[in-house]
Amino acid sequence: MNIKVFEKLHAEGLINDTALEAVKNSEANRLFSVHWEIKTLLYLGVLLLSGGLGILIYKNIDTIGHQVILLIIGVICAGCFGYCIRQKLPFSWQQVKAPNAFFDYALLLGCLTFVTFIGYLQFQYNTFGTAYGLATFIPLAVLTFSAYYFDHLGVLSMAITNLAAWMGIAVTPFQLLSANDFSNERIVVTGALLGVFLLLLATLSGWKNLKKHFAFTYQNFGAHIFFIACIAATFIFDSQWLLWLGAMMLVAVYIFRQAFKEGSFYFVLITVLYGYIGLSILVGRLLLATQDIGAIYIGLLYMIGSAIAVILLLINLNKKMKHARVQ
Amino acid sequence: MLAYNNDTLNNLDIKEEAEKALRKDCIDAATYQAITTAHPVNFYTPNPVIRAGLFILTLIVVSLSLGFMTLVSLSAMNNEKNFGGLCIFAGLLCYGALELFLREKKLFRAGVDDALLWCTVSLLLSSLAIYGTDSTLTWSLAVLALTLMATLRFADMVMAAAAFLALLALVFVLTLKTGVVSRTVVPFLIMALSLLVYYASRKGITQPACKHYRACLTVVSVLSLLTLYLAGNYFVVRELSNELFDLQLQPGQSIPGASFFWVYTVVVPLVYLYLGIRKKDTILLRTGMILLAAIVFTIRVYHSVMPLETAMVAGGLVLTVGAWALIRYLKVPRHGFTYEEDTDPSLADKLKIESLIIAQTYAPVAHTPGNNMDFGGGSGGGGGASGDY
Repeated sequence: MNIKVFEKLHAEGLINDTALEAVKNSEANRLFSVHWEIKTLLYLGVLLLSGGLGILIYKNIDTIGHQVILLIIGVICAGCFGYCIRQKLPFSWQQVKAPNAFFDYALLLGCLTFVTFIGYLQFQYNTFGTAYGLATFIPLAVLTFSAYYFDHLGVLSMAITNLAAWMGIAVTPFQLLSANDFSNERIVVTGALLGVFLLLLATLSGWKNLKKHFAFTYQNFGAHIFFIACIAATFIFDSQWLLWLGAMMLVAVYIFRQAFKEGSFYFVLITVLYGYIGLSILVGRLLLATQDIGAIYIGLLYMIGSAIAVILLLINLNKKMKHARVQ
Repeated sequence: MLAYNNDTLNNLDIKEEAEKALRKDCIDAATYQAITTAHPVNFYTPNPVIRAGLFILTLIVVSLSLGFMTLVSLSAMNNEKNFGGLCIFAGLLCYGALELFLREKKLFRAGVDDALLWCTVSLLLSSLAIYGTDSTLTWSLAVLALTLMATLRFADMVMAAAAFLALLALVFVLTLKTGVVSRTVVPFLIMALSLLVYYASRKGITQPACKHYRACLTVVSVLSLLTLYLAGNYFVVRELSNELFDLQLQPGQSIPGASFFWVYTVVVPLVYLYLGIRKKDTILLRTGMILLAAIVFTIRVYHSVMPLETAMVAGGLVLTVGAWALIRYLKVPRHGFTYEEDTDPSLADKLKIESLIIAQTYAPVAHTPGNNMDFGGGSGGGGGASGDY
């Protein structure tokens, strides 16, 4: 805080003596926070350590043997979970804060090693045989349980990613578009179903007040998967594309109204943008159907005009939401 | 000089300070209301998320409009030089729209104005490219002139950064033109210039005259710290002089004055860190932390001290244990440092960025199911040779 500004305000009579004293006091006793610096170092350390150990094990697998490695992974995993169970605060369906700074990382390491453990068992000893679904389902169950039991958003994201992998889709942020084959009808249908499922979970956790703060993560993954699947569907299904577009618009309107009510700028923005893409697909398809060269000009003009319209819409929405918040 | 109303900018500063005081409970809500009514801000600044959306949409509008103009005037365009003229025209149009929106709609950091400014500068510069100028001197002069004007008028951080880099490029090119002696002086000249700019911008931040350029000066000071280091970094000096002066160094061969540059490479980040901790300066501290990685990288390029995995494990252990010890140590605030978070709510927190990073670093292989309807084919470890080694 800039003391000079407050002294000026004091001279103008806008703040009283106690407020000025409080500002001066607070500024004199201000501490320098190194929270994010230390957290970054810790995260980097965990990443380097797990990566380096992985390479070390890989290079020396002939000398140490698979059982020993499995044992090491198992011990780390059990140790982490044991620590978390001992340290954790009592379970509640509300948000539970982590008891200390290491809790989150210990849980994360425990979950990562558990996934590695199951994967190793299946890869090396074929424990689950051809029941491949089981090999991904067990981590999924454990991750979901841990996310709720220990209240960890990162583990919840891992569980969602695992659920998608179990259904055959990659949903990690940078792979969502690159690693999936959206010209495959099955992937598209599965993606839409997964999206709807996650959106339902988001609604449910908000409505029933079950870990309400998880709703954002569910809705974030769900909305993106659903909308992208729908957009892909309008391109690959020649007969039912209008149906998909309709479904997309319905969901967009639903999420939009929800977000507007809760004052979430993020979801307002993405539903407006996805809705705009949907509308443009409709216009584009109609223009293509005319098979006329003039359609290119109309299309360009439409794009320019509609983009300006969306800009105005967003500016207006932002103003409305700000007013709603002030009241 | 600034495109914005000076009083309104002052009021914005006051409002932000009052917000901080409100969060720290130094003033109550009624006082805050009184302050904001006495110092009204009529700028339109949307939520950062909406700003990003507006930015993208404006870029779309500008590029499609350019496409449309090209399409319409296609017949009149008999060579590509005319397209350069079109770029200048479109750039000026963007600038006009920008000024109009600032005056009439009071946009301030709204996404639309950022995008229009970027478009103005890049369209004008692309006309330079179309007219076929490949002299680095002309380029750095043009970039410097345009971005400097844009910075002074709109106090835009990206423009300020570009202007600083263009200035360095200009000095670099001019020095090289003077002859053979200049080779040895270039790194030191860049260092001196960076240091000068760093001190000037730190000084400027505290000056009342530059108070609306604080954000720009902060960006420039970070960049100048980085260039101050990079100008003397062994890797940069060796590879650049090898490339530019055609020294034809063999692997293992070194540049003149190598020992100086090695010492510089290792010592400067540590100095940054030390000063950052001594002065409680976030900029120095964070720059120093980033540059620690540059030390490791530079050393590993020329000397293989230990195998990669050993280095990773050792580094990971040091970092983890060090961070753990620091957190324990700072459980109660000491020497004015604390592990507690600042009260300012950050955007990263609202969008749950941390959980997304975790999801990104943990990427299970998605298995494309076969033709059968049960989900989840493939094994956890991916395909490959199963069975015995």
